[in-house]
Amino acid sequence: MENSVKRSPLVLVVVAFVVALMLYVGYHKARGAGITSHLTTSSVAPDFTLESLDGKSFRLSDLRGKAVLLNFWATWCGPCKIEMPWFVDFQKQYGSEGLQVVGVAMDDASKADIAKFAKDMGVNYPILIGKESVGDQYGGVPALPESFVISRDGKIMDKIIGLRGKAEIEDSIKKALNTQPPSSQASASTKVAPE
Amino acid sequence: MTTGQMKIQILKAASTKLLGFLALFVLTAASVSSAQTLGKAPTLTVAAVPLVTAQRTQQTMVSLNFRIPAGYHINSNTPKSEFLIPTALKMDLPTDIILGKIEYPAGEEASFPFSPDEKLSVYSGDFTIGLGVHPLKSVVPGKYVMHGVLRYQACDNAACYPPKTLPVSFEVKVVKEPAEHKANPAQSPHVHN
Repeated sequence: MENSVKRSPLVLVVVAFVVALMLYVGYHKARGAGITSHLTTSSVAPDFTLESLDGKSFRLSDLRGKAVLLNFWATWCGPCKIEMPWFVDFQKQYGSEGLQVVGVAMDDASKADIAKFAKDMGVNYPILIGKESVGDQYGGVPALPESFVISRDGKIMDKIIGLRGKAEIEDSIKKALNTQPPSSQASASTKVAPE
Repeated sequence: MTTGQMKIQILKAASTKLLGFLALFVLTAASVSSAQTLGKAPTLTVAAVPLVTAQRTQQTMVSLNFRIPAGYHINSNTPKSEFLIPTALKMDLPTDIILGKIEYPAGEEASFPFSPDEKLSVYSGDFTIGLGVHPLKSVVPGKYVMHGVLRYQACDNAACYPPKTLPVSFEVKVVKEPAEHKANPAQSPHVHN
């Protein structure tokens, strides 16, 4: 009995430590991955083919060798409207260094409405008509905006759920630009025509 | 006090301090964890509607009380942009019970960190939508269930969530209209033969 009393503080410490550790790990996992738990940084970005606003077929893996900012957005999403001018700036500033911004519209609006919205926002990068299956590949995209920064060799370097600061996104883009393209495609050039 | 007892005392004191520190850490981690709701779409709730008694041939107003979880907002019925999705109630009423007017509350003009210069028309917290039901004379008196859905699209301060629908239903007891008073035909006080 006496021993159990003496041990009790230690038992409590261990229990508290385990609980704290679980919360800590859980929090950081949730923060880093959102609910896109199967996609972690350094995962290969799931490939997809979608139709762009100009009716062309667009495949993500065709961009290997470039750093990619893949942005899921919707016309009804207020925070998305804040980011889009930043992305226009990034495309202007870093396009020549190998950045390609790609927008994926995840809403039910008509193609014409999406095109009008993109035009009003001065978008200078491809806008693709999203599909739920593609959203699912990226963890369901439960909240918008949601962006993925992808390295030149096609790996996810950062996941940005919700609105974050422009500088923070820019830092992430710079890191992606500093990555090495896959050796087999190091010399390949990929050209993507803006909308 | 023996050396062994002293060791136990020291160990106990150290354990207590460590326990306090860890408890604080657990509490902090838990609060941070609970605050991390980004990526989780909110779900609106609707309060149960008490049985509504509606007289035939008249419009009876029904109040539907909705609650938006703290930290979120939804567009009002009249958002300020054609691209924003308005909150809208759609009802599917039984035959011969006509949907009357739907009264949406005015939106609250608010700006958010993601758009500090732009005022949006939103609902947050609790809000009420009024709805008119108008049973026609052909409706057999009795209880009827009204079904509908509220469509809304929610955001928080940093993200928006896909549009959702919330089913709503309430019961209406339709009663007969009061019997019409038929005026007796005017009669002459005098009988003329």
